[in-house]
Amino acid sequence: MQLNAGTSIRGALALATCTLLGTSLQDSRADASADDWRVDGGVLYYSEQDRVTVVEPVFFLRKKTGEDRYFNARLIFDTMSGASANGATATNTAQTFTSPSGTTTYTTPAGETPLYKFSDERVALALEWERPFGRERQMVYGINASVESDYMSVGLSTMLLQNFNDKLTTLTTGLSANYDSVSPDGGVPVPMQLLSTVVAPPPADEEEGEDEGGESKSTLDAIIGVTQVLTRRALTQFNYSIGFSSGYLNDPYKVISVVDGSTGATVDYRFESRPDSRLRQSLYWKYVYHLPRDVVHFAYRYYWDDWGITAHTADLHYRFELFGRSYLQPHLRYSAQTAADFYHHSLVNTAPVPAHASADYRLGDLATTTYGLKLGLPVGKSSEFSLRVESMKQTGDSYPADAIGVQRNFDLFPTINATIAQITYTGRF
Amino acid sequence: MTLLRRQGYWEGEFTAMASPCAVLAEVDTAAEARRLLDIARGEAQRIEARFSRYRQDNIVHRINTSAGQPVEVDDETALLLDYADRCHALSEGRFDITSGVLRRVWRFDGSDRLPEPAAIAALLPLIGWDKVLWQRPRLTLPAGMEIDFGGIGKEYAVDRSALLLQAETRSSFLINYGGDLFASGARHNGRGWQVGLDDPSVTGQGSVGGLEIKRGGVATSGDARRFLLRSGIRYGHILDPRTGWPVPDAPRSVTVVAATCLEAGMLSTFAMLMGKQAETFLAGQHVQHHVIR
Amino acid sequence: MPVRLLIVTVAMFGLTACTLGPVHPWDRDLLAEEKMQLVPDAVENFLDEHIYFSKEAASGGQGIGGGGCGCN
Repeated sequence: MQLNAGTSIRGALALATCTLLGTSLQDSRADASADDWRVDGGVLYYSEQDRVTVVEPVFFLRKKTGEDRYFNARLIFDTMSGASANGATATNTAQTFTSPSGTTTYTTPAGETPLYKFSDERVALALEWERPFGRERQMVYGINASVESDYMSVGLSTMLLQNFNDKLTTLTTGLSANYDSVSPDGGVPVPMQLLSTVVAPPPADEEEGEDEGGESKSTLDAIIGVTQVLTRRALTQFNYSIGFSSGYLNDPYKVISVVDGSTGATVDYRFESRPDSRLRQSLYWKYVYHLPRDVVHFAYRYYWDDWGITAHTADLHYRFELFGRSYLQPHLRYSAQTAADFYHHSLVNTAPVPAHASADYRLGDLATTTYGLKLGLPVGKSSEFSLRVESMKQTGDSYPADAIGVQRNFDLFPTINATIAQITYTGRF
Repeated sequence: MTLLRRQGYWEGEFTAMASPCAVLAEVDTAAEARRLLDIARGEAQRIEARFSRYRQDNIVHRINTSAGQPVEVDDETALLLDYADRCHALSEGRFDITSGVLRRVWRFDGSDRLPEPAAIAALLPLIGWDKVLWQRPRLTLPAGMEIDFGGIGKEYAVDRSALLLQAETRSSFLINYGGDLFASGARHNGRGWQVGLDDPSVTGQGSVGGLEIKRGGVATSGDARRFLLRSGIRYGHILDPRTGWPVPDAPRSVTVVAATCLEAGMLSTFAMLMGKQAETFLAGQHVQHHVIR
Repeated sequence: MPVRLLIVTVAMFGLTACTLGPVHPWDRDLLAEEKMQLVPDAVENFLDEHIYFSKEAASGGQGIGGGGCGCN
């Protein structure tokens, strides 16, 4: 009966000691070399085949500022470029589009799904403070702000974590509020307006100057959840979230094709229109299990909102411990959603004009499958370097049953293939 | 009990648990230093009174004279027994608080008098935590067996004293009970407390180096004063309860730095109990340590 | 449908919490590891949330706050 001399019993011993002394493990985590800082520097590379590419450097900071007190900061730079679907479907003729104010035009060849080119940069900053609030309670306060050329967002959030059962059960409640404002390039379109009726405005009026029009939206979110330690190896979390957004929820760059009722050829377009409010709810369940060396994370979310969308999302991570502190982590994610009530791949010119309609594929019947692999390598005593590569595929109803005439010849819901890569350095000191 | 003013801190001394004890604190006034010293001394003496095996009026005596009858223990004793139980499991039986009876035959006085193997064998049936029935809050010790908190008492006193002092002051302090230490945090100059490592060959008179500790516990297991020497073989005083004999190839001294004094003490004891494997064991625990052979 | 799902899930959850014994403080060694946290990697989690927020209709569920962007 040989105790493997290399086996670490330190964790178990530390816990036994804390029990004896009546202290929490966090109290005694500091020793001759305490880890007060955690810094993450990384870059995300996201690239859709023939479409959008995003390069996003990120910087995360977590600093211990006292007993159970932490300060978190997050700085993100987002550079997006490429082409994005504008909602119109491919048809048998070339298609030309103009922005709402008539200042920009672009043309798509026949048979191709119309895309509009764009490029933008975004900066976002989030700050968070965690502090205890009594013996068994922790509070978190956060503020965030994000700016890009046509969009701005500011928000506040707060969270309360209440421990029970000697910290085996934690009740979480949170609230957040966000205010977003959009000033689209080319102005804000009139919802459901036919593009053919858009008239170029007179040359820039001195008084109006830069005011191309802007809209805003407000969002309020709440969450309530329970985290429960089940066994020495298992942990689970169950959350209910609800969110309400109101204001300008349209995508000002998106249109919807209007096709001829008998031939199916595209005859015009309308700017999309979404309701001016949205109530979202979700139930989320997470299960974490520690095998002898490996750890598995499984999450499932059921989502539904008052736009008629329901979605099931399942996410699985399995962390294989390799030698030392290195690991390999495959990841699998599958998400399936039903379309919004007002989602249409296109409208028929003879049909009555609905109050709301959008051809944004992200609101349609959509299935997203992602699989990936992450490799983690230790650096020094407690730091780490990781590399993650994933492949994401989104599919929908390419050849819907209600396609008319020439529409049947084209893929009305092209598959999106994207590659995701992330490289991160995590420093702990 | 004495109180001395040093450069930048106060040093208070007293005797408890048969060891010289000191409390060093970076407070401004003598009154404040005395207050802290009194609290620490009070706690050290309280623990000694409650858990020393040399006394006839405490729970340990009651347990050791219970003649096989169950004894109901209080919360603090229960916590210590839980801890001893856990350490017994983690060390796979090498750490055992029932092994104290071996002192009846082993006398580590530096001489060459080893006990008779028959005498050791006779004691083995009276050793073994697995023979004890511990069902919180009742402990049933078979007749003839004894428990001894000597292996954790001093470290426990250090950590308990530290907890009490931490509630009383935000200044940095160092508690030293006979070589078992706890430092509560960085000093005013941002540095830690300087601690010398005793040289086991000239115990009390020399050091083999030092370490700087800002926050955490330091404990040393060693055979500095207690050993037997026969035919060139040194028998350290750390006994393996499974055999009744000293652990072969045990280091002369093991010093460990950990988050608490108890943890440091237990890890250094475990390392000694691992004998030849002491260094490998400690390397796997990822703690600062120093082994002298 | 959502209400039924809620009842079933809570029942399952309640059952699992009852059939397993208490977890003693000294048995929380594994739970304290970083890879056992509900969000083991804050950076990866944030970036993924951002990707799926901009590419799907559903969002959130695990937490709140974090801010918006023009990507959806």
